Amino acid sequence: MITLSNIEKVYQTKTIETVALQHVNLTVPKGEFLSVMGPSGCGKSTLLNIMGLLDVPSKGIVEINGQPIKSYKDKELAHLRNEKIGFVFQSYHLVNDLSVLDNVELPLLYRKGVSGTERSRRAKIALEKVGLSARTRHYPNQLSGGQRQRVAIARALIGQPEIILADEPTGNLDSVMGEEVMHILLNLNRQDGTTIVMVTHDENMALKTERLVRFFDGQQVSDAKIHEFQKV
Amino acid sequence: MIRHLFKLIWNRKKSNFLLITEIFFCFLVLFGVLSFIVYNVRNYSRPLGFQHENVWLLTMRPNTDSTAQNRVQLEQVLQRVRAFPEVEHASLTSSNAPFSFSQMRNHMSYGNVKDVEADEYEVQDDFKAVMQLQVSQGRWFGSQDDASRFEPIVINSVMQKQLFGETNPLGKRLPKNDSVSYEVVGVVDHYRGYSEYAAEEPAFFTRINLQKNKNDFRNELLIRVKPGTGISFEEKMVRQLSGIAKSWTIEVSTLEKMRQNKAKLTLIPMLALGLICGFLIFNVALGLFGVLWYNISRRNSEIGLRRALGAASIQIYRQFIGEVLVLATFGLLLGVLFAVQFPLLQVFQVESEVYLIALIGAVVLIYLLTTICALYPSRQAAAIQPATALHEE
Ligand SMILES: Nc1ncnc2c1ncn2[C@@H]1O[C@H](COP(=O)(O)OP(=O)(O)O)[C@@H](O)[C@H]1O
Ligand SMILES: [Mg+2]
Repeated sequence: MITLSNIEKVYQTKTIETVALQHVNLTVPKGEFLSVMGPSGCGKSTLLNIMGLLDVPSKGIVEINGQPIKSYKDKELAHLRNEKIGFVFQSYHLVNDLSVLDNVELPLLYRKGVSGTERSRRAKIALEKVGLSARTRHYPNQLSGGQRQRVAIARALIGQPEIILADEPTGNLDSVMGEEVMHILLNLNRQDGTTIVMVTHDENMALKTERLVRFFDGQQVSDAKIHEFQKV
Repeated sequence: MIRHLFKLIWNRKKSNFLLITEIFFCFLVLFGVLSFIVYNVRNYSRPLGFQHENVWLLTMRPNTDSTAQNRVQLEQVLQRVRAFPEVEHASLTSSNAPFSFSQMRNHMSYGNVKDVEADEYEVQDDFKAVMQLQVSQGRWFGSQDDASRFEPIVINSVMQKQLFGETNPLGKRLPKNDSVSYEVVGVVDHYRGYSEYAAEEPAFFTRINLQKNKNDFRNELLIRVKPGTGISFEEKMVRQLSGIAKSWTIEVSTLEKMRQNKAKLTLIPMLALGLICGFLIFNVALGLFGVLWYNISRRNSEIGLRRALGAASIQIYRQFIGEVLVLATFGLLLGVLFAVQFPLLQVFQVESEVYLIALIGAVVLIYLLTTICALYPSRQAAAIQPATALHEE
């Protein structure tokens, strides 16, 4: 569960001050699949970064499972990100010089007490889940966009995080590949109970999830449950 | 993590190729220069086998060809020199006096050991006292050898080892020519006459016997003066000797001056090499720094990603330092492979230990250098904000 209370984020540069988020109060219960929509620049990525402890809010409190993040100490945040959160990005962010298997293993590299054999065993299982067990020795540039995103999802789920934060995961994909990726995320949510927050521009994708919040200009403008009959 | 870094560098070997070759060449140059320095310093730290302080070298050049007359004057000169209260000991020597620029090499054989190259030093009985040699076995030669059928020689222990191994060298005979043989009467532990920076070579001393060889003439006379004897005595001595041998040219130099001249011959190239090496290393360091700096800006999003996946800032720092060390390791592996050929193939007559010390020194220096170059860029990498690094439009 993630709770944001009265979050505000202001980016201060030399010349201008950008208010990226304002008065955000949002609770994502455990096991929920939430989508976030809104025009470009309205603060969606900022929201995800704050939820994912990659960025510090200017004001307000972030709670993970009811525990407020107080200290924002680098090491503790890194540890929490590693244990609790998985990230999926629009542009995949795979390391091109590492094989698919090594890319997927990355989060476990930053977890204490996981041996090399254990890492690769779990990476293979994760790749199986996204249907890429045949591609372990490939390199990212040998894969299609959809396959790359599936590798990224395998990487996000290998550490068995409670929460996956996906920032426009289908944004760079055609509809078929997008469907595949969406399918994997839905399975992850339903079968493993992973909480997912997904930013998307695609109404159809959003309608497959449980709840949709809309943002405009840094503020939350709507919040709605998606009922079964609305789902495609 | 180390395996991960090796994998990363290995997969990036193409883009890291230039850096690895740079480190490789830098290592080789360092190894070469260090070998040279270690070789010299090791030699320097070893005993010369003699005391050169307060020893002067008199060079006498007669201007007439009259052998008989010159010989008479030489004996008068010797007598006069030895009579000065300031002079403790004096000995004629062949032209290869300590720290001089001349050499006299012979091939010596004994039994199965053939052709050991050895320096021959022809000296008078007083040479031992002039140079304060330490005889460790047997004795120095003297008047007791006048009656001997053999020519007495004293050898240094390097020559002893090469010719006789572990067996007792005393009384052993070595052919000089068809009619005469040398007989070893004593051993000195050390004698290193070329330079403080030169290795010790096999050496032996033969006896100048003026009584026996009536035509023998030598141009060089080593004298040990009392401590504190200075330039005024030198002038007095030269004046008086010129009075005896009127047509001779007489010059005096101290062994200390000669030592300094000889040392320059090693120190100047050492300094030049050191400077060139330093300049080269500075360039490599700048290049390394630039490439690392560039790499980090190129890898912004990878850094952001790693942070998102759970890497703390300090881990990014360590990773980048680690990568540079791995990179250096690749260059060093190549370099060491190359460098070990020198001791293995015995390219020069240098002890393997010299190479080993130079090798370890070069490896440590390269690691140090690369780490220093990596410190600042790595800190920059660690300071990158993950949210900013991952920011995509
Ligand atoms: N690191 C940053 N520094 C300054 N301004 C930023 C930074 N990140 C985002 N912004 C600004 O904050 C606003 C929200 O950005 P973002 O959260 O990326 O929007 P979205 O993901 O909805 O397109 C934008 O105006 C953007 O320019
Ligand atoms: Mg965005």
